[in-house]
Amino acid sequence: MNDFTPSLNRLALLARERPHLLAGPLHLYQEQEGLADEQLAAMLRCEPEAIPRLALCERPRPAPHFREDVERIAAYIHADMLQLTRVIRAAESREALSPRQKTAGPTLLAARDYDETESELEEPRAADSTGSERADDTQ
Amino acid sequence: MQATPQEYQFHQRLTARDDPIAFAELAEWLYSGLVQDVRKRAGYQADPILVEEAVGQALLDYYDQPGRYNPERLRLSKYLVMSAYRDFLNASAKERRVQAHQVSLFDPAFQFDELIEDLKSLDEQMAVDELWEVIDETFSDPVDRGIVELIVNHEHNPEPYIQLLQPVQPVGLPGDEQVRLARRAQYRVARRLRRHLEQWLARAHSGGDAL
Repeated sequence: MNDFTPSLNRLALLARERPHLLAGPLHLYQEQEGLADEQLAAMLRCEPEAIPRLALCERPRPAPHFREDVERIAAYIHADMLQLTRVIRAAESREALSPRQKTAGPTLLAARDYDETESELEEPRAADSTGSERADDTQ
Repeated sequence: MQATPQEYQFHQRLTARDDPIAFAELAEWLYSGLVQDVRKRAGYQADPILVEEAVGQALLDYYDQPGRYNPERLRLSKYLVMSAYRDFLNASAKERRVQAHQVSLFDPAFQFDELIEDLKSLDEQMAVDELWEVIDETFSDPVDRGIVELIVNHEHNPEPYIQLLQPVQPVGLPGDEQVRLARRAQYRVARRLRRHLEQWLARAHSGGDAL
């Protein structure tokens, strides 16, 4: 008991029930993709220790603030912005399609933001390793 | 004593609701210190996971309703420690009350059996793999996970629970104290499991889950 170390992972776990934080959709995404924190961190090109901090960030606001918010989060956890955008989009889409979803809010936001931000971010179409996520988004 | 300039700045960022990293940064800054402070108040024999849950809850409650905190009157860290400690005391008191009335009605295994009966009464809609899905989702801590597996397997003997808890407990505790702590951990885990299963059931009832 004396060597017990507080961990932001525990806080991130509690935060999954907060609809405005990324913890819930990220967890669902990791669960459905079978991704450990280390694997998600590799996708995002950040350190695994950054994953609980990412979970405690708020969901990016819709456009016109979306890009600004994702940039801020990416800078905070030292992650690749485009990869982070894709993961957030995919996580929110998965959540919207999940039977666990409690409200319609994220669904609508995810659907609306997809169109608004794809052109805004000017993502390269080539070398797209998350093509299936894009398909998810458009459903 | 009022908020420090840094606390005040965090409070403004959270209240403004336009900074996606404000809460994460606040948590990163305060979390460990808050857990240590609450553990110090609670005593080092206090269940550390209960302490962390109380601190986490206090931080998330503050995130939900930052307007409840007045930075002119109190330091934010003090406010959060008080809030977490109060939650911890409530949780501990509830646990003591329950332990005073156990063993039969509040026996964790009994509660779990009762839950299983509840689930069966829903036309057996919760399959075993769904039950484990809820468990996987709820219990990432290896010790808690081990305890829940023992509960699910209707293990009544305290010895396997004691063995699981050994790495997180002080060395040299008397046998009856080890049994007491094992029972307490068993009850805490069972209660948490019950809460999450009840949430799952509520979603099932509301038609929100594709069963």
